[in-house]
Amino acid sequence: MKSLLATLALTTALTLPGLAIARPVTLTTQLSNYGGDGAYLALYVTDPSGAYAGTLWMAGGKSKYYDSLSDWYRATGGDLGQINGITGASVGAGRTLEITLDLADALFDAGYTLHIDAAVEEMRNSPNEVAVPLTTTGAGTAVKGRRYVASFTYDM
Amino acid sequence: MKKTPIKRTLTVLALLATLPAGMAFADDDCSVPLANWQPREAVERLAQDNGWTLRRIKIDDGCYEIKGRDATGREIKAKIDPATLRIIKMKYKSDDGDDDDDDDDDDDKDRPRRDRKDAVNPTAPSMAPPNPLFGNGAPPKVLVK
Repeated sequence: MKSLLATLALTTALTLPGLAIARPVTLTTQLSNYGGDGAYLALYVTDPSGAYAGTLWMAGGKSKYYDSLSDWYRATGGDLGQINGITGASVGAGRTLEITLDLADALFDAGYTLHIDAAVEEMRNSPNEVAVPLTTTGAGTAVKGRRYVASFTYDM
Repeated sequence: MKKTPIKRTLTVLALLATLPAGMAFADDDCSVPLANWQPREAVERLAQDNGWTLRRIKIDDGCYEIKGRDATGREIKAKIDPATLRIIKMKYKSDDGDDDDDDDDDDDKDRPRRDRKDAVNPTAPSMAPPNPLFGNGAPPKVLVK
């Protein structure tokens, strides 16, 4: 009985951390002064094979415009279930969107990539505006987007 | 023949009318032949699958439009494609009575207005995110500076 308990205690201690470990991460997206309306932004993650893994945040409240975030839309089929509870307002030109969340540890140094798709009314869509590999060494390094994002950083 | 100013204005207007519009976002009306419509029961099943409580199902702009509450009790209004039952548009009403999405009675339906919330910090979501990327299931904290 004692050995059974000991085994249980040991296996629990070994397996649980692997499942539960997460780290607080701050994603900072600073938009340039592109001189247009508020930008719709989709922040999502793909796995090492490039397959969609999940969405972290959707900035922009009107679902009818989500197809302008074309890579995200193609990956999810526009499934609103993917962003249930993780949507907010669009982000104005020159503003900074700061998202703090607990990200699963398993995403880092494992080939996962964080993407941002951007779209602005009357301006060009910018799918894959930002694509950064999630690595512990890449944290804190600012990356420039293609069209609307002046800089993107993730800090741990 | 010499053109009068009015004629010139009309010519310019006519030319402008033929120019293609700039980037336009997708329309949210439906145009599904009646034969392809799924019954209301299918919409009720969809609501059940999503954990929604329905108050009303009606037809608007050729789509099903439903009103009710989602699994967390938030007031919702959704437009559903009558053939595929895809959610075309979803509108949430927050506790403070503000719409988190557009209304049908918007005059500028095709323009994403700069949300009033752009000026302030958007409210943090109330429920756990749906994917395993979030380590502890807690919703993200969001700030717009």
